[in-house]
Amino acid sequence: MISESARMTTRAEARYRIDAPNSQPRAVKVIALDAASEQVIKRLVQLPWQRASFLTASAFACMPARSEPFSMTGWLSDLAGRTKDLIDEIASADLVVMIATAGESAQAGSLIGEACVARGVMTTGLVLGTAASEQTLSKTLGQLRPYSVMLVAGGDEDYIENMLVALRA
Amino acid sequence: MLRKEQNDLLTQTGPGTPMGHMFRCYWLPALLAEELPENECPPVRVKILSERLLAFRDTDGRYGLIDEFCAHRGVSLWFGRNEESGLRCPYHGWKYDVTGQCIEVPSEPEESGFCRRIKLKSYPLVERGGVLWTYMGPPEKQPPLPEWEFATVPADRSFISKRLQECNWMQAMEGGIDSSHVSFLHRGELNKDPLFKGSKGNQYNLTDSKPYFEVVESPGGLYVGARRNAENGKYYWRITQWVMPAFTMIPPRADHPVHGHFWIPIDDDNCWTWSFDYCVTKPLSKEQLQAMHDGKGVHVKYVPGTFRPLANKDNDYLMDRAAQKAGKTFSGVEGISMQDASLQESMGPIVDRTKENLVSTDNGIIMARHRLLRAAKALVEKGVMPPGVDPAHQRVRSAALVLPPDQPFKEAAKDALMVQPNVAHVSV
Repeated sequence: MISESARMTTRAEARYRIDAPNSQPRAVKVIALDAASEQVIKRLVQLPWQRASFLTASAFACMPARSEPFSMTGWLSDLAGRTKDLIDEIASADLVVMIATAGESAQAGSLIGEACVARGVMTTGLVLGTAASEQTLSKTLGQLRPYSVMLVAGGDEDYIENMLVALRA
Repeated sequence: MLRKEQNDLLTQTGPGTPMGHMFRCYWLPALLAEELPENECPPVRVKILSERLLAFRDTDGRYGLIDEFCAHRGVSLWFGRNEESGLRCPYHGWKYDVTGQCIEVPSEPEESGFCRRIKLKSYPLVERGGVLWTYMGPPEKQPPLPEWEFATVPADRSFISKRLQECNWMQAMEGGIDSSHVSFLHRGELNKDPLFKGSKGNQYNLTDSKPYFEVVESPGGLYVGARRNAENGKYYWRITQWVMPAFTMIPPRADHPVHGHFWIPIDDDNCWTWSFDYCVTKPLSKEQLQAMHDGKGVHVKYVPGTFRPLANKDNDYLMDRAAQKAGKTFSGVEGISMQDASLQESMGPIVDRTKENLVSTDNGIIMARHRLLRAAKALVEKGVMPPGVDPAHQRVRSAALVLPPDQPFKEAAKDALMVQPNVAHVSV
């Protein structure tokens, strides 16, 4: 008699697989960490997404020097320029994807990453810049490494789109 | 998830398909050299990339890989007589050489030259490192011979096996770049299997089941780094190599031989899983070789006389629920290879990737698909040769090492990730 494993792995049996949704869309926050990355996500936002939202932290680089009081607000915004609260955004996220450009400052990643850890939110860092030198790429990766459970280096702009689609964002 | 058309593109490798076109850019392992052990030995049926072929070794030791069927009436030449520098069809005596050229049609006058107008499709077949490799693309684009390190070390330092895997190549290959399953599916084997046990790295694997990952594009494919906590704030890194389209090298453990795989499509529903183990600096020991023959490590025991695993879907992979319950194996299936294969085959011949729910730690798989799709498009539309064809992309190694937290693996392990003659793999 044919075994259950043999019978159940045929093409014929595949027809009887349940054809119903097996997940709900995840809330994915895609945050650009610098001005160049912001341009990339401005193109991505035009595509149809389920529950992805796009933010920018590129203003972080313009924050006051360390000697001056630091503010948790004012540097995170949506792409229309409306200021967003980091804690609120993280609280409503299932996954935070930080996009950085090799050679640019990714320091905002540390605050975002720590907030994600505090809230138990998964983080992914993605560093763009296939043409960047090893040293430049490495520096940016180093800024994101402690705060990204998954870190991807060298992806191109298309990769972000493919990754977000793959994650059902 | 993938769209259906993307899934179709990645999983179909027959003639005329984009991925088939891409696979036909590479030298592919076709059969073990031991399958054609001597001149005039019996021919062997080979199906690869959905093409039915026949391999044989003629009177002069030349290897041939030709269309399986006689040009006359379509008889399988597997029944042929391998004699006097050619393979003769037993039906009417037509005879072919290793290039598929018909060299004799007994019913026709020799002077007519009829046989010169008959030629079967054929591919080159060359021996390297105990493997017979074939190249199935256009002759004018034939690349240099493969330079994978396991196939270039002395014969006594390498062990190669193959097994039938009854599912599409892609879902099998994706298992090879999915580092996060080791702490679960294979946890029972890490401290038990003679080709794995005793490594300090096993402890890191077993005590930290939530690794951090880093996926970095390499010239030939990807480095997939998995980072776990080690002592004193340091990190234990395991760096897997994936070279396009279907090669992976698993990071080493202690001074055990290093292993890896090729996944070569037979057709769209089956593939050959090739598994190798090798040492760079010393011969494999008697004990190691015995363990490999016994199906330990990444190898399997066979149904006698075949390359089908002894544990297979017809016997429910010899599922042992008591061993599963007792924690001896995590899935109830014995052995690393069959633990992987049983689950990959359970997905069905071709998994429906429109239904899957990938998570962030699956970025290695997502990136591999992205690179394959991109390379197939560039090849089909612009004729750009894909990564992995260049032998320089093949001279790579996996590595396992402990690094301070501020050191990126790609730089710290730069030398360790490349072939260094007579230098052992970097391992923990």
